[in-house]
Amino acid sequence: MGEKIRIGFYALTSCYGCQLQFAMMDELLQLIPNVEVKCWYMLERDSSEVEPVDIAFIEGSVSTEEEVELVKKIRENAKTVVAVGACATQGGVQSWTDKPLEELWKTVYGDAKVKFQPKKAEPVENYIKVDYKIYGCPPEKRDFLYTLGTLLIGSWPEDIDYPVCLECRLNGNPCVLLEKGEPCLGPITRAGCDARCPAYGIACIGCRGAVGYDVAWFDSLARVFKEKGLTKEEILERMRMFNAHNPKLEEMVKRIFEGVKE
Amino acid sequence: MKNVYLPITVDHIARVEGKGGVEIVVSEEGVKEVKLNIIEGPRFFEAITVGKKLDEALAIYPRICSFCSAAHKLTAVEAAEKAVGFTPGEEIQALREVLYIGDMVESHALHLYLLVLPDYLGYSGPLHMVEEYKKEIGIALELKNLGSWIMEVLGSRAIHQENAVLGGFGKLPDKATLEEMKRKLREALPKAEYTFELFTKLEQYEEVEGPITHLAVKPRGNAYGIYGDYIKASDGNEFPSEEYREHIREFVVEHSFAKHSHYHGRPFMVGAISRLVNNSNLLYGKAKELYEGHRDLLRSTNPFANNLAQAIELVYFTERAIDLIDEALARWPFKARDEVEIRDGFGVSTTEAPRGVLVYALKVENGRVSYADIITPTAFNLAMMEEHVRMMAEKHYNDDPERLKLLAEMVVRAYDPCISCSVHVARL
Repeated sequence: MGEKIRIGFYALTSCYGCQLQFAMMDELLQLIPNVEVKCWYMLERDSSEVEPVDIAFIEGSVSTEEEVELVKKIRENAKTVVAVGACATQGGVQSWTDKPLEELWKTVYGDAKVKFQPKKAEPVENYIKVDYKIYGCPPEKRDFLYTLGTLLIGSWPEDIDYPVCLECRLNGNPCVLLEKGEPCLGPITRAGCDARCPAYGIACIGCRGAVGYDVAWFDSLARVFKEKGLTKEEILERMRMFNAHNPKLEEMVKRIFEGVKE
Repeated sequence: MKNVYLPITVDHIARVEGKGGVEIVVSEEGVKEVKLNIIEGPRFFEAITVGKKLDEALAIYPRICSFCSAAHKLTAVEAAEKAVGFTPGEEIQALREVLYIGDMVESHALHLYLLVLPDYLGYSGPLHMVEEYKKEIGIALELKNLGSWIMEVLGSRAIHQENAVLGGFGKLPDKATLEEMKRKLREALPKAEYTFELFTKLEQYEEVEGPITHLAVKPRGNAYGIYGDYIKASDGNEFPSEEYREHIREFVVEHSFAKHSHYHGRPFMVGAISRLVNNSNLLYGKAKELYEGHRDLLRSTNPFANNLAQAIELVYFTERAIDLIDEALARWPFKARDEVEIRDGFGVSTTEAPRGVLVYALKVENGRVSYADIITPTAFNLAMMEEHVRMMAEKHYNDDPERLKLLAEMVVRAYDPCISCSVHVARL
């Protein structure tokens, strides 16, 4: 094998769960001899955020002015940038609010000042070009394996373009939406989790983000929202937990609700 | 010629959860200032969840931290249940504690082997230890995987558990899986004991020796544990959880997005060693034996004892989980979940997260969160941590700066800080 692939794992503002998931893969032991880890502060003291890498994994939302500079530096030094998880791809749950930054600050910190500059949380691609995305809060281990595997053989990871419902139906779970009438976001959320939560009888909270909105075949299930007495506002608020920065969200939910025949 | 002293800084402390740095300012007279810079951005969780539906807010809280997401989830759920006036059955309570123990085992194993141990063996990180320390890395992964698996079975996944809900669980595992869990825990016990033996050999630096006030939740019942309704302090004080604000004051410091806390005007410590200091009389089994035999190493006066205290907890909680599963099985079969009526109310839950006391106070009005206050162990510890880094710096500021940096980081790592947890936490 030729030169080792250089990778970096960088954290912006987040819960560190994506890195933890990555670190928890037993397969990591097989990866270690084949890569050179240039930056991974969570596990490695000898890390640098400015060393050139082949693949940069970025976790977290851009939430301070300092992090704006950091993502630009990472982009300059990386051949491929992968945004990892709900914070990096969608701004994360810290974006689930309409309140202005000043109000949030005042609520939590009062009149006190801190020497660093906070911002409203944003996805990484608002500041730099992102080549690939890994979705989920947290992403599944197999998301990492698939992404790394394809990139290491010179291919690339493809986006999933079908909803959680597909996996849920294949697994034969009782339908949380149809049978319990709970606001399960499975019909409009990107699959890849093997319908993890509905398998436990828990309504999907949409942590992998909205599936591309022009995927039409799931509309019939999504329309059940209205039949079950769930309002457009309710579904929109729930979808915003993990899709606050998705400009097409409102249009998507509106279309679903308008599609219902009275 | 006058000596020139440059500030000694670690921009980004490695091998901790979250993003923080250390800044040590030195002058002719000695150490002038020590700051733990908490640079990870604020996330405003309390402000964000106010006005949201209770179940959706409960889905958000564990996202505060991945290393202790089950702790956040279960503490938030209990605060919400107290607020709406619901008490779960003992069998549900037992299984929730097993889920919580999954978090404890995973977090302690990860911290001890992957974050702490490399310093003592002269490595920059665990990835370099894989060849030479196969056995240790193997044990680390086995214990960590056991914790993850418990969280997956009972919580739906190892990070951000959705299966713990108001009223109980979305779905319970079957009896065979619980029996399997007991078997795996029994198999893990020798590995936990090995961990304890290993960590008895590590140096606890005397530079940071001194009196510390320790706070911990007083466990419900007669066993050392996680849930409780009173806070105990090592100064002999005890107060109901709801009164936490009368005893602990939070304040903003300019070098940190996380607030600092004082107990009766002074820094204090929470964590595994604080639990032992306050509740060691409730230990039983192998852990009690180990504790009695090593009291000299489990001193209340040294933050480095927290590492060994975590190791003793690996032993204790492994045994404890087996007993809790038996308690649940004795009532088998039972309902996964009770219907919970969402009434208006206010509830406070205090639990022992892997890193120490975790407080959730939630107010519910018309099915939505109308007030939220969360204080995490790391926020409690920051002031004390800064003081211990200062003690270390005072002894070593004339040494090679690289040596001081490492020692300062080691003090911080002994606390097992969770910086993501600490940055957002505040009262309204």
